[in-house]
This record gives sequence, structure tokens and C-alpha cells, in this order.
Amino acid sequence: MGKLAIILGVPVAMLATVASMGVVVVDVREGGPAGHHIVVPVPLVLAQAALTVAPVFAPEDKLRVPAGEGLEHVALARDVLEALAAAPDGELVSVEGPNEQVLIVKEGRSLKVRVHAARGEDVSVNVPLQLALEALPDAHGHIRLARLAGALGGVRFTDLVEVKSERESVRVWVW
Amino acid sequence: MRKSVLGIGVLAVALLPASGALAQVGSAWLHIRVEETEKASKVRVNVPMSVVEAVLKASPGMIEEHGKLKLGEHHQMKLADMRNVWKQLAAAGDAELVSVESEEDNVKVQRKGDVVQILVDSKPAAVKAAAKAEKAPGERAGKRHGTVRVEIPVSLVDALLSGDGEEANIQAAIAELQKRRGDIVRVEDGDSNVHIWIDEQNAPAAPAK
Repeated sequence: MGKLAIILGVPVAMLATVASMGVVVVDVREGGPAGHHIVVPVPLVLAQAALTVAPVFAPEDKLRVPAGEGLEHVALARDVLEALAAAPDGELVSVEGPNEQVLIVKEGRSLKVRVHAARGEDVSVNVPLQLALEALPDAHGHIRLARLAGALGGVRFTDLVEVKSERESVRVWVW
Repeated sequence: MRKSVLGIGVLAVALLPASGALAQVGSAWLHIRVEETEKASKVRVNVPMSVVEAVLKASPGMIEEHGKLKLGEHHQMKLADMRNVWKQLAAAGDAELVSVESEEDNVKVQRKGDVVQILVDSKPAAVKAAAKAEKAPGERAGKRHGTVRVEIPVSLVDALLSGDGEEANIQAAIAELQKRRGDIVRVEDGDSNVHIWIDEQNAPAAPAK
């Protein structure tokens, strides 16, 4: 009985440990209620580890934004994101058209983007500003994956993306 | 007509980033409202001044290029010329500053109280021709009234043109905008309205899902 408890208890404890460190969940439904439902949980620690070791295995040029491909605007993007992070909350953009409504709201340290299309599609994206800042390359175009990995830990319990239509839905969240 | 509106809009937008260097604006917000009746669309943009400031600091070249304010792709106006005209007319008080009549538009620039009004009135033939040229398949002909009305605070123009030579005095414009609250630009077209102003209220955040 004791051995059985240990045999069952170890993996459960490991699972609990991994889960407590965070899980990125990708949830895809397609084909309506009778269609496919795919759930891919990725331990956050695994994603972070992959990001951290990626520079060791990936060629340097693959982790770098080439000059001339928007690199000159990175400083502007960084300044804007930092200013946004420090700015008070509020509605930033609202577009109301006959076929689509778009709303971008700054709430806390996140930008919330909501798009509603008349044909029945809803898109919801939450952009943690810190994550966006860390995802920006530096002045030389280097993408700092280790820092990005660190920032991932700060977005737990966040719905990152949700796309819904009549028959399909995709949701990505960090638990 | 559209180019005129675009030029005026670009000038307005060129002036507005100057407001960005408002280091002590606290929670001042720049608001832009665009409503197009024909397309049944409404656009609201609310930008914290601190963000506008960041944009200005990071990209000063967006405003000035070789001492000129760029008014669209095809219009460039020397600041020195603008400054001279402005100085000569400053003492005149309320007056009609510019009146241009052409086959396409009648343009009038006048000073009225503490605002400079720019009035563009497209002639019916020009409106009709423009509507025909822009008409897409299945789209009905434009019903624009062909009138644009822009109001810009005199104090803002004073500040912007207070420098020397070919350089706009962005810093002075910034200082002016630091003090200013209220309307900066209003454009009223037949089917579209643009309103740009500064206040200290952010739009109420709609509840996010």
C-alpha cells in the first residue's frame, strides 16, 4: 500500500510542481460542437527553458532583426510602450464601422484589443506591456530571449489570445 | 479639395506632436474624433500626452525636415515666408488673411478672435468630378458638401512661428500647448468631421471582456 502511494504520489507531485510553475495552454476547437477539440498544455518552465537555451543552438542571424527591417523604429516603439505603461488607464482607440468594431484599452500593465466583426468573428488579444517590451530587439537587432523567458513568468493567469467564430475558436492563455 | 483637407490635417498633426514634450502635463490627453457619415464610421483616439512626448522625442524628423513643415507629399511651405506674412498681419486683428479662388476651390484664411479659420469651399463641378473619379464599382456618387472648416488657435501659430529662419519653434509651441486646454483643430467637411482637442480626461474605459 505504501509503495503504491509512492508510485502514484511521485508523478502527481511532479505534475503539481510543474503546474504550480505555470502552464501555457493552447485550446483549439474546430468544426462546431461535434468537431475536434485540441488542448496543448506547455509547462511554462519548459517554454522558458527553450527560450533560454535557444541562442546556444540557433544561428545568431536567426535571433537577430536585420538592419533595415524596421530596426530604426525599435527605439520609438520602446519609448511608446514605456510611456504607455506609465500612463493612466483609458480607452486609446475605438473604431465603429458598419462591419467591424475595434477597441483598444489600456488597463493596468496591459493593452486589451477587442475586435468584433459583423460576420460573427470576435478577436480578443491582451498584450502585457512588459512582455512586449522584452520582445523588442535591442539597438543591434538582437532579440533577448532570456529576458523574454523571464517576462513570461509575469504573465501568469492571463488570457493572451482568443479568437471565436461560428465554428472555430482558438484560445491561448497562461495559467 | 481632399488634398487641401489632407494638407491642413497634416499641418495640424505636425503641430500636435509638439504637445508631446509636456513633461508636466500629468494626465493630459490628446483626443481625436473622426466621424464619417457616409461610411457610418466613428473613430476615437485618445493618447496620453506622455505617449505623444515619447513619439516626438524619438522621431523629431517627423515634424521638421530641412526647416520646412511638410504639408502632404506635394506641398511644402517655407516657414520664413509664413512667418513674414504672419508678422505683418498680426497687428491687423480680425481680418481676412488669405483668399484664393480657383476653378476647384475657394480658400479663405481669416483671423477671428483667438482662432485662425481656414475655410475651403469646393466648387460643385470640382466636387462632382472628384466624386466621379473616386467612385468605386457599386458605390454611389459622393454627396460631399465640399466645405472644410478648420480652426487653429492663434496662440499656437504665434508660438510655432516665433523662431528665426527656417525652423519652426517647436519648443514654444510645446510651451503653449502645456497651458492650453480645449480645441486645437476642428474640420467640418460635408460628410466628415474631425475634432482634435486636449483635456485632462481620458475616455471612460469600456469594460474589457
